[in-house]
Amino acid sequence: MPRFATVLFLAGFAFLLFSLTLTLGFGEPPMRAGQGVLDQAVAGTGAANAVSAVLLGFRGLDTLGELSILFAAATAGGLVLGHRRPGGDGPPAGAILQAGTRLLFPLMLVVGFYIVLHGHLTPGGGFQGGVILAAAFFLPVLAGTGAGPDHALLRVVEGLAGTVFILIGLAALWTGGVFLEPLLVDRGALHELFSAGTLPLLYLAVGLKVGAELAGLLAHMARAGGGEA
Amino acid sequence: MMAYAVALPLVAAFLLPVLHNASRWLGILVGPAALVAVLLVVFQSWQPAVLPFAMDLGGFAPPWGITFYVDALALLFCGAVALMTLLLWPRDEGDGDADALVRRRSLTLLLAAAAAGLALSGDLFNIYVFYELAAVASYGLAAERGTPAAYAAAFRYLMLSALGSVIALAGIAIIYFETGTLNLAHLSLLAGELQGPTGMAAFLCLLVGFGVKAELFPVNAWVPEVYGVTTRRTAGLLAGLVSKLAVLVLVRLLVLVFPQEGLRDALLLLGVLGLIGGELAAWKARDMTRMLAFSSIGQLGLVFVAFSLPGTAGLVAGIVVAVHHMVLKPGLFLLAGQWGGGLRGLAGAARRAPLAGLLFVLFALSLVGLPPLPGFWAKFLVLTGLAGQGGGLGWLAMVAILVATVLEVSYLFRLAGRLYSRGDDEVPAAATGGGTVTAGVFGALVVAAVVFAPALWDEVQDMGAGAGDAALYVRTVGPMVPTMISGGAP
Repeated sequence: MPRFATVLFLAGFAFLLFSLTLTLGFGEPPMRAGQGVLDQAVAGTGAANAVSAVLLGFRGLDTLGELSILFAAATAGGLVLGHRRPGGDGPPAGAILQAGTRLLFPLMLVVGFYIVLHGHLTPGGGFQGGVILAAAFFLPVLAGTGAGPDHALLRVVEGLAGTVFILIGLAALWTGGVFLEPLLVDRGALHELFSAGTLPLLYLAVGLKVGAELAGLLAHMARAGGGEA
Repeated sequence: MMAYAVALPLVAAFLLPVLHNASRWLGILVGPAALVAVLLVVFQSWQPAVLPFAMDLGGFAPPWGITFYVDALALLFCGAVALMTLLLWPRDEGDGDADALVRRRSLTLLLAAAAAGLALSGDLFNIYVFYELAAVASYGLAAERGTPAAYAAAFRYLMLSALGSVIALAGIAIIYFETGTLNLAHLSLLAGELQGPTGMAAFLCLLVGFGVKAELFPVNAWVPEVYGVTTRRTAGLLAGLVSKLAVLVLVRLLVLVFPQEGLRDALLLLGVLGLIGGELAAWKARDMTRMLAFSSIGQLGLVFVAFSLPGTAGLVAGIVVAVHHMVLKPGLFLLAGQWGGGLRGLAGAARRAPLAGLLFVLFALSLVGLPPLPGFWAKFLVLTGLAGQGGGLGWLAMVAILVATVLEVSYLFRLAGRLYSRGDDEVPAAATGGGTVTAGVFGALVVAAVVFAPALWDEVQDMGAGAGDAALYVRTVGPMVPTMISGGAP
């Protein structure tokens, strides 16, 4: 009987979505607010990448919210996984894997930071770069060559990075602006590394926080999994 | 200024683990300090002369950036968020796990920040982000006890809530697709474009999605399970506070964007079903926590019934019912935490803890609706509103409220009688301490509401009138560029 209810629900929901899809005119989105955002994005923030301008400028509060959601997920993960005993280690990695991870680690760091720091110029940014940074620090755990990142250090990085993001936002408030207003917008020319005012700093904070959060979460999962990861 | 209501709890949540490692006292103090600061900011902003006002976050004008809308209702909820989080601040459960305690406190702060954001935000997608933050933080808190039952409950809660979030997001996507904007004031101007079936479907998606946290009738199966496995403080926070913020979001949408009659009827019907279903289940419950959880579903049903009434009367009734439940339910959960467990073991508990017993009777009387207590006014307002509205559904709702009241009397006083009975069973589990004192604060709030009823009444009237004025909202947020209103698809 419950299975019948499930099927009924799914069929009804699918029908609803299907009929909604029919009424929506795909391919001709109304650009009421969107066009205005597009027109102002680059000039208003000095960031050559319009996506970053929207992410950190127009919808900076959403980005702060997303960071907090990630923090909440990592904290909740720690709460759940922290209760388990760490199991035994997996089999030791071979020489090739070990050498490979040592070789990869600095390269991934460079790529990660490059993507974070060029977020306001090219596609990429704090979230994408942060994931690469997290992967770099998780490599030793995967290869079984190290204990992975130090939890105390990760905590400091994630705590301070989040605080810096909010402090940059509050700095605008203290200098007479509004919370999360981009500052120093006309410092530097468009398409230069040092441009777009405080936006690259915000992205750096995002990148470090995302990296620390994910690395911590991955390390927690590897530990809780008893070395199976 | 009001940005602090979101920013301060977030900073405290981020820094808590770091500060806890640096110094034990800093770790203990930073959370409450941030919440007290939020309370101060709310008090400072509470100046009727300047309310309501709007803030363009990031300095981008309304339809483009994110707007915070600050009126008396939003301030009331911001203040309530800070106060309730302070009162229900996670305590050491005596399991000696300092790391877990820090994490629970971080999650509670994130919950407070998200709740304040929900109260203030005037942007549909921003509301979704804060709703997600509240959801993820509450998943963690649901699993805080670390028992297998807690994990099972938290996992099922996560699945249901995630499904709700997806449905809500679909609703937001439909609205954006139809109108090309996310700003609530802008949407209010464009409400005519959402009159058709597509707009109705979008609202129903949002209703079901946000309804998960608001304990709305078909999507509340998680409630008894989760409240049964968390600490009573978390249960109080989720039942008292987070559910009301989800309701507030729906009310804002109803007032600003979806003034259709049919949607109010849908809300009324779901509210009645929740009310009757919740109270019946509470009547059958054999465990105090489950009884309170089901009664919470019933009370939220009443909140929905109240907000389904049209005009200022409905908003006033809804605010009174919501705030009443927000104060009572955490108090009752705290008392349940003192006594714990099945109803059988509670025989004579009030004779051993007279103050707690007295508080329980006070809360129970107010919940039922005995005249001088605020619960009476709550039900009175809803009933008069329904009588004024009339119609078959209105009469059905009135009958449902009266039946629910009879059920409440039955189960609450059966429990009260048991608490005062001459029990010769073994003494129930030792009190964990502190709970009665906090419950006493909630009791004092109930008594204060009786004493200051006339002043509060004026305040609530103004609040309801202000919150129900869609034109005021649009005017306050600011002038939209004219082409933004007329110009549709290119």
